Amino acid sequence: MSKPKVGIFGLTSCAGDQLVILNCEDQLMELANAVDIRDWEMAKSQNDEECPLDIALVEGSVAQVRDIETVKKIRERSKILVALGTCAVWGGIPAMKNDVPREVMLEEVYGNDVRFIESKAAQPLSSFVKVDFNLPGCPIEKEEFLQMMASFLHGDIPEILNFSVCSECKMKENVCQIVYKNQVCCGPLTRAGCGARCPSHNVPCTGCHGPIEEVHYDSHIKMFQLKGIKPEEIVHKMQVYAAPAWMPEKLMEEMQHEGE
Amino acid sequence: MKVSKLPKANVNKFLESLQDFGEVIIPKEKQEQPGVYMFDTMTDPSEVAWEYLRTIIPPKKYLTKPKEVIFKFDSQRGFEEVIEDAEQKRVLFGLHPCDIHGIKILDVVFTHQYTDPYYTRRRNNTVIIGLSCIPDEKCFCKSMHTDYTEDGFDLALSDIGDGYLVAIGTSLGDDLVAERADLFTEVEETDRRKYLDFRKKRNQSFKLDLDIDDLPYILDLEQHSPIWDELGKRCLTCGSCSMVCPTCYCFNVYDELNLDARSGRRIKQWDACLFKDYALVAGGHNFREDRAERVKNRYYHKQFRMVEQYGKPSCVGCGRCINACPAGIDVVEVLTKVREGSYAETESS
Ligand code: SF4
Ligand code: SF4
Ligand code: SF4
Repeated sequence: MSKPKVGIFGLTSCAGDQLVILNCEDQLMELANAVDIRDWEMAKSQNDEECPLDIALVEGSVAQVRDIETVKKIRERSKILVALGTCAVWGGIPAMKNDVPREVMLEEVYGNDVRFIESKAAQPLSSFVKVDFNLPGCPIEKEEFLQMMASFLHGDIPEILNFSVCSECKMKENVCQIVYKNQVCCGPLTRAGCGARCPSHNVPCTGCHGPIEEVHYDSHIKMFQLKGIKPEEIVHKMQVYAAPAWMPEKLMEEMQHEGE
Repeated sequence: MKVSKLPKANVNKFLESLQDFGEVIIPKEKQEQPGVYMFDTMTDPSEVAWEYLRTIIPPKKYLTKPKEVIFKFDSQRGFEEVIEDAEQKRVLFGLHPCDIHGIKILDVVFTHQYTDPYYTRRRNNTVIIGLSCIPDEKCFCKSMHTDYTEDGFDLALSDIGDGYLVAIGTSLGDDLVAERADLFTEVEETDRRKYLDFRKKRNQSFKLDLDIDDLPYILDLEQHSPIWDELGKRCLTCGSCSMVCPTCYCFNVYDELNLDARSGRRIKQWDACLFKDYALVAGGHNFREDRAERVKNRYYHKQFRMVEQYGKPSCVGCGRCINACPAGIDVVEVLTKVREGSYAETESS
């Protein structure tokens, strides 16, 4: 079997997920041998920008107008398209302030006479193209990335953990941030995979992997309210990494409802 | 049962001497949070938290590991069995009666019909030394009839002030004492009296009570109680209650592949019936799609089906799930309300 042709791309992003790939130092040669990396602007100077691809790994959110065309073009040339990292999967940090109009933000950051960015409200890839597999994480976890690639190479659909950070946190035997410290911990809502890195360092989970498949707004709101935590605080925290997914309006609505 | 006495002055020497047998696991206080405990390897006997109550994770973590490799495979070379810690001898020191009962239940589950070689191998290399305790407001082992145990340990220590009465439960336990005879003394009449006083004090210290008479019958009648839906609305399905339970033994099995796409490892990892994918089968059907069904299942498995299958419930009253649930769901409160038929959403914290 010939090696699968792979392209690795970044839309609007910090390149952190691509960096994780480069940081797979012990496996990088093996990976480079197992696949044929045809197009990777960040790591290669000779790239084939037109060839059909078996797997496209796309990092970043669609936050500039030109990103829409870029991701559509990648989709057209690829058999499998992977959303790599929380920006690509959920909108990520660039989507945190989607409720503020872009013009207002642009002016605040760059002043009123700079006009070079065609910025738009940040959205995940799935708003524009069909995504075959989502690998969230800010950045992605090296082990999860390698497992995903190994599954593709084996001809399988990769599996992703479908439970929350709490179980990894319990397995690490951490002191629970909600139970003992009354903190807004996003652990129960957030997809596992990080090994509960933040609570293991005595910091509440910030939800960087985005939500699990089944998010229970009702029980979370009730729980935090019983702990005397204000709804705004919860929304604020949840909005950081996956604002479009958390649906803040719905969240607010539920909270008002529960508070009655 | 043979009983000996270990004066407190000799207890550190005794603990150190156990290292000749293997790794000694003791309860320790978490540095970052006083009053929270975990089982961990002893480096010095001074680390033992003698007055501890319920570690975050029960000692099951040494017998059925949170995540372990069960074999390695290679499509060209076949497979190689792996039993992690197969040769590691261990002393689990300081287990309270609830946790010993927890292991007794796991023993049945992992050896009853099919023998789990991973569990059994580690279990056979494990010495269990019990320790007496004074319950707090979340302990309800007395209600579950797990507040004392006559077996399931090699040695069991009861605090009688100046020393410990040491019950000898197995011939291995007898050897452990005989080999260290100089550390032990004869039990005297005053020691016996002190033990009876201790027992009385302990029995009177229980604050939490759960009536389990005919509970399986009541549960069978209350299959459609509104309580299960109400609980479903409160549960986050985070799985914390299962992870911390000494008798929750479910696991998932999956493969981790290497990049050569022909070799890898088969993994066994803790699972929980609260998780969405737990009862998902090939073809996409989910037997417990609904969150309320999953929460309910945890109660029915422990208090109903285990009684049917093994004659005893599989809750040992340790209170860990009460402590660990971020949503404040309390097993005693739930089962009491089912019995009273009085469930209405309560604002417990
Ligand atoms: S600290 Fe956070 S992630 Fe860990 S168990 Fe508690 S709520 Fe879950
Ligand atoms: S159900 Fe709760 S109280 Fe009962 S044994 Fe499990 S963790 Fe302990
Ligand atoms: S710990 Fe509480 S919230 Fe989490 S799954 Fe168990 S009952 Fe539900």
